[in-house]
Amino acid sequence: MSLPESMSRIVIAGTKAHMDEAIEVLYGAEAVHLIDHTVDADEGFSIGSPREYSSKASERLLKVRFMEKELGINKHTKTPSLSVEEIKSRIKSASVESAEDEIVRALDRRNDLNQRIAALNTKKNNLEILQMLPVNLEFYNGFKSIATIVGTVVDDPSEAIKAMDAEFFIATKKKGPIAVAVFVRDNDRDKVSSLLSAYGFSEVQVPPGVSGIPADALKAVEAEIAEMEATLAKVEENLAVLKENYQAFLRASDEDLSITVEKGELPLRIATSEYSFVIDAWVPTKRVEHVKEKLEKDSDGRMYVEFQETRGRKDAEVETAEKRFKTAPTKMNNGGYSAGYEYATKLVDVPKYQEIDPTILIALFLPLFFGFMVGDVGYAIPFIILGIYGLKVAKSKDWRIVARVLLFGGIWSFVFGLLFYGECLGMHFTGTYLSPTNMTWEHVFGMQEGALGAFTAVLPEFIHAEEGNIINHVGVGKLVEIPLLLKLSVYIGIVHLMIGYICAFINIHMRLGFKHAFMEQGGWIFAFVGLVMFCYALAYSLIGDMSSLMTEYMVPFAMGIVLLIIGCAINLKSHGGMSIMELPGIAGNILSYTRLAAIGMSKAGMALAFNHIAFNMIYGTMGGITGIILGFAVFLIGHLMIFFLAILSAGLHSVRLQYVELMAKFFVGGGKEYAPLKIIRKKTHYEPLKTENKTKAEV
Amino acid sequence: MVLEGDIGAGLIAIGAGIAVGLAGLGSGMAEKDIGAAAVGAITEDASLFGRAMIYMVLPETIVIFGLVIAILAIFVM
Repeated sequence: MSLPESMSRIVIAGTKAHMDEAIEVLYGAEAVHLIDHTVDADEGFSIGSPREYSSKASERLLKVRFMEKELGINKHTKTPSLSVEEIKSRIKSASVESAEDEIVRALDRRNDLNQRIAALNTKKNNLEILQMLPVNLEFYNGFKSIATIVGTVVDDPSEAIKAMDAEFFIATKKKGPIAVAVFVRDNDRDKVSSLLSAYGFSEVQVPPGVSGIPADALKAVEAEIAEMEATLAKVEENLAVLKENYQAFLRASDEDLSITVEKGELPLRIATSEYSFVIDAWVPTKRVEHVKEKLEKDSDGRMYVEFQETRGRKDAEVETAEKRFKTAPTKMNNGGYSAGYEYATKLVDVPKYQEIDPTILIALFLPLFFGFMVGDVGYAIPFIILGIYGLKVAKSKDWRIVARVLLFGGIWSFVFGLLFYGECLGMHFTGTYLSPTNMTWEHVFGMQEGALGAFTAVLPEFIHAEEGNIINHVGVGKLVEIPLLLKLSVYIGIVHLMIGYICAFINIHMRLGFKHAFMEQGGWIFAFVGLVMFCYALAYSLIGDMSSLMTEYMVPFAMGIVLLIIGCAINLKSHGGMSIMELPGIAGNILSYTRLAAIGMSKAGMALAFNHIAFNMIYGTMGGITGIILGFAVFLIGHLMIFFLAILSAGLHSVRLQYVELMAKFFVGGGKEYAPLKIIRKKTHYEPLKTENKTKAEV
Repeated sequence: MVLEGDIGAGLIAIGAGIAVGLAGLGSGMAEKDIGAAAVGAITEDASLFGRAMIYMVLPETIVIFGLVIAILAIFVM
């Protein structure tokens, strides 16, 4: 239940003449969260203008991005990191422009060739149709009073054309369109055209200036296409070489130019007067002194830093602040283990500066619930291995959080599987063998009953309430001890929800004081506790003896009602009548946690079925080598299926319990994330000083 | 096949099955619309995933109610 880190506001002032150094120093501090200057925020100040170098850099960046796009270089292209000095000097000596020259020339050539090949292909298609007709190409053109209509039709129009005064040729193939050429008097042209259009006519262009039979012309065109394609392949090859040569440079210069542009445009976010600039910024409170010192020292005393305020968590402080200083940025404050779960919180929203960051609760309960639901040594070990592997390999945040939950969820399910359920792949280690409901590993390995007893002696002893028999060090059967698991889930839920209500109380207490917090959240806390007691008494007396409500469960029943009434009264006053309607929702929230038991049960049920089938095949009816092979196949596939279903169901449901049941109680979100001015270089790097000295020495 | 055993127990089992089944159907019907809308929203803005998921899984509680009734039916009655 950590709060976002405390933030302080500082003002940085300097002279415009040293703006470029100032920008470098600000980025170097890596802790300054800039507050954008707004028009008319301060009299006599206006928004600054970009540095001169930034427009040239933007222009070059545009060129670089164009080339990257055309050459198919993207963020997945693996290129080595280049040194900043090298890349800067290359950019300065107009390498971008010369690369552009070379690449654009190759690209133009490729486009040109592609266009010409497309044109030739159309010509080729037309010739293929003309080839079907027994007419030489020169006969289609050059008549004084005869028009030629050439094309394809869908149906045979011979009969219709015969009626007209025209010479025509028709050729059909087994498949495809029918080729037709009609020679008519100029006067009849329109008539024939409209007649043909009824047969699905589409015109074919006879290539001008070609004579002889179409087959020869076709061969010539095909040869031309082949030649062009060979040239195109050469150009493509050339482009591939260019890509190979330039990709490292392009990626590195893209990064360096982006940084230059970002730095160059920084003045657009700050206030400037004629000779000076003023920057408002947020800095983590504990680093204020350090930042002040660093900025003043790095700028050789040309920058002046003044501390303004440390923002508290009270609403009053926010209300009195100037508009652009109202929201302090949120820097989530989680150490080591729980920092890995910040992404899960951010999936919902970034916490506000004035509220509890639920990350640590998620970090604690998410794997715990996952482990409780899976609760099986056999699945836990692959989960742990998968988690470790994932954390080693995965780079994207989405996969890392999945891997993290698998690892720690796996550890919890190992703990639960070994010490609570006493299960491995849906079977207890030890216990009385009872097919099919209770198979044990002892039985599978042909050991005596109780042989693994010493190994499982750590398991808790449970007394089966209904039958009164004692289960000794066997573990809790997920399909046997259902009432126990349900009760446990509900109790876990009550604790989890109570934490949510307390967090809500703390949030309001922090912002508005105790009285407000009591009026807003106190009612819910009273109602929650009251409802829990009321339901506890009611549930037990309903299950057992109804008359025990007035004797054994009298105290919680009465107290529950009293607390409920108090809670409702407070809620009525502060939230109005609708708050009464929300009471069943609390019961719903608590019952929602029974999914912890239910999902465990569903997995145990599936495991039981697969184990039963598999071992029946291996030991029982089928027997023989086929039985053993088939049995193992069923065993493997079945458990693999349960394993992957476990990731989905147990994972998603434990996430849901955090997001919906817990966080909905107190989490508002909508904070602005702390984003200090900082440069992250991936494709470029500064040469370490040591090697620089070395090279100088070598030289 | 001759029916054996207690008809009462059979009726309880049927009742429990109906409780879970209908509740599941109900939450399915509720979730289908939300799911479609949520996927639409996520394709527009992937950062909505967390919030979309919250809305998506809200009706899931209905099926849990069905499950609780079924378990009560089997173990309490």
